Amino acid sequence: MSNTTVLPSRPGAGGPGAGASGKEKDVRRRRPGPTVGKSISVVLLVLGAIGMIAPFLWMFTTSLRDASQAYDLPPQWLPTEWDWSNYADAVSGPVPILRNMFNSAVIAIAVSIGMIITAPMAGYAFAKLDFPGRNSIFVGLLSSLMVPAQVTIIPLFLLMRTFGLLDNPLSLILPGITGALGVFLLRQFFLGLPQEIIDAARMDGATAWQTYRLIALPLAKNAVSTLGVITFLGSWNAYFAPSIFLNSTDTATLPLGLVLMLGPYGAGNVAQVMAATTIAIAPALIVFLVAQRWIIASLTQSAVKG
Amino acid sequence: MTLTAPKTALPPAPASGRGGQPGHRTAARRREALTGYLFTAPTIIGFLVFILGPLVAALYLSLTKYNILTAPKFVGLDNYARMFRDERLATTYGNTVLYVGAAVVLINGFALLFAVLINQRLPRALTYVFRSAYFFPYLVALVYVSIIWQALFQKDTGILNYYLTALGGERIDWLNSSEFSKVSVIIVDTWRNVGFAMLIFVAALQEVPKDMVEAARMDGANEWQVFRRITLPMISQATFFNITITIIGAFQIYESIIVLTRGGPGDASRSVVMYIAEVAFNKFDMGYASAIAVTLFVIIMLVTMVQFRLRKSWVNNE
Repeated sequence: MSNTTVLPSRPGAGGPGAGASGKEKDVRRRRPGPTVGKSISVVLLVLGAIGMIAPFLWMFTTSLRDASQAYDLPPQWLPTEWDWSNYADAVSGPVPILRNMFNSAVIAIAVSIGMIITAPMAGYAFAKLDFPGRNSIFVGLLSSLMVPAQVTIIPLFLLMRTFGLLDNPLSLILPGITGALGVFLLRQFFLGLPQEIIDAARMDGATAWQTYRLIALPLAKNAVSTLGVITFLGSWNAYFAPSIFLNSTDTATLPLGLVLMLGPYGAGNVAQVMAATTIAIAPALIVFLVAQRWIIASLTQSAVKG
Repeated sequence: MTLTAPKTALPPAPASGRGGQPGHRTAARRREALTGYLFTAPTIIGFLVFILGPLVAALYLSLTKYNILTAPKFVGLDNYARMFRDERLATTYGNTVLYVGAAVVLINGFALLFAVLINQRLPRALTYVFRSAYFFPYLVALVYVSIIWQALFQKDTGILNYYLTALGGERIDWLNSSEFSKVSVIIVDTWRNVGFAMLIFVAALQEVPKDMVEAARMDGANEWQVFRRITLPMISQATFFNITITIIGAFQIYESIIVLTRGGPGDASRSVVMYIAEVAFNKFDMGYASAIAVTLFVIIMLVTMVQFRLRKSWVNNE
């Protein structure tokens, strides 16, 4: 096969080499109406993209309006006024949103730090160290990805209750600081690390810990950051376990606080709820703007490479 | 380096490929093994305490009657027998299976459509904008997007019905009718997850060899034949991954329903997971709830295993 098959395996790396695109153009030119087809697909894609973004736009616009106009129809898509009072009201309302956000942040940060310490160590050991039972332990760990949270939640609830950890952030932090997915991601990375680098360090008299800490781990910086971001967002967005382990408004995480604020059957003040939701979405937006590229790359790679 | 004579008492060290004297080799290997165990210890402990232990405990609890206040009482398979007489369980399982089917078809269908469209030679900035727009909802918590959607779904004040009536349609009771409450849950689920599946497909489509496609076109194959005979087989790995992920995800659907419909009207949109949570944490019928949870686990495991079995027959492995 020609050189065009040796495409960069990184997703989003752009088109193939210039030679291939030249060939492509020749074919295109002979084909009737490729531009018509392309216009239709752009229209479809635009419609889809509008459908994806419109709800967020509505959320933001509504958060800036007086509650009495929140449901005015026809809907206004762009902010007609820039009234931030809903944000102030949301924050000072009966549900302690700021407190809930702080709780979410504490849990998400603790879980992420724990994960980026434990997962790379284990991933390194499974990739580069030799010890009896290594592969069977790894397979066992991986199979835990198949265990849905709903099966373990009842015993976990009883466990937390026994140790007096219900309604305590530790009930979410402790189970969160280790996990098979992170180990798997980091093991994949370390497997790709040339053995010579490790051996050279060992020859120079570095201990196993030094080799890991000073040589291997710095090389895994990108993989570790990805894991940290994914873990943070996963914890920040979590609802199921927090809704069962936490049961007072002071310990509640932000998702729980927002559901409380929304009230049964959406009876809460819509403009304020949308203001609070806008705040809650901010971290995802920041992550999205800063790290979109490599998150997409690392998420898609495992699937395509199998 | 000083050579130390190998001690006969030591077992023969297997070739490790690394330097060092035979006498030191076993010591080094022992030390490496110890390091390996230390490095993996936190993860293994977490796995034992928070996954394997609870899993075994759930299996045990599913054979007991347990209301938290008094000690668990062993009742054999009673809880499992009870499931067959539980009409609410049948309803919630029915809903869940519907959600799973809809997720597999709709998420992957739309994702593949958008992926193929996006994978054309479009201006790079446009591709970037589209990819970002489709992917963003996936990063936002399902709770938050559900909060937005429940406002859009409101019967009298929601935007959806406004545009629907503007186009001459009837108002739909999205959240409180037994048919449309399910539809709403499916819409939100599809909307949020389509972007991730699309990215997986786009990544796979970029790996399809261009010259293979060109050659087929030269030979007179039309676009559909190219797609059916070349593209689809080449991206089967991604299709497999996406279907597996959507099945597992949809079986566990939970918080969107809580926000949108609270499972109602009645049980019309309630999922199995909601039912498990209700039985366990409102009625404190821990044994029965564990039994239902175990069936959910077994079903997810079976579906995954069947998927992997089928995989051999339709996934193209280079």
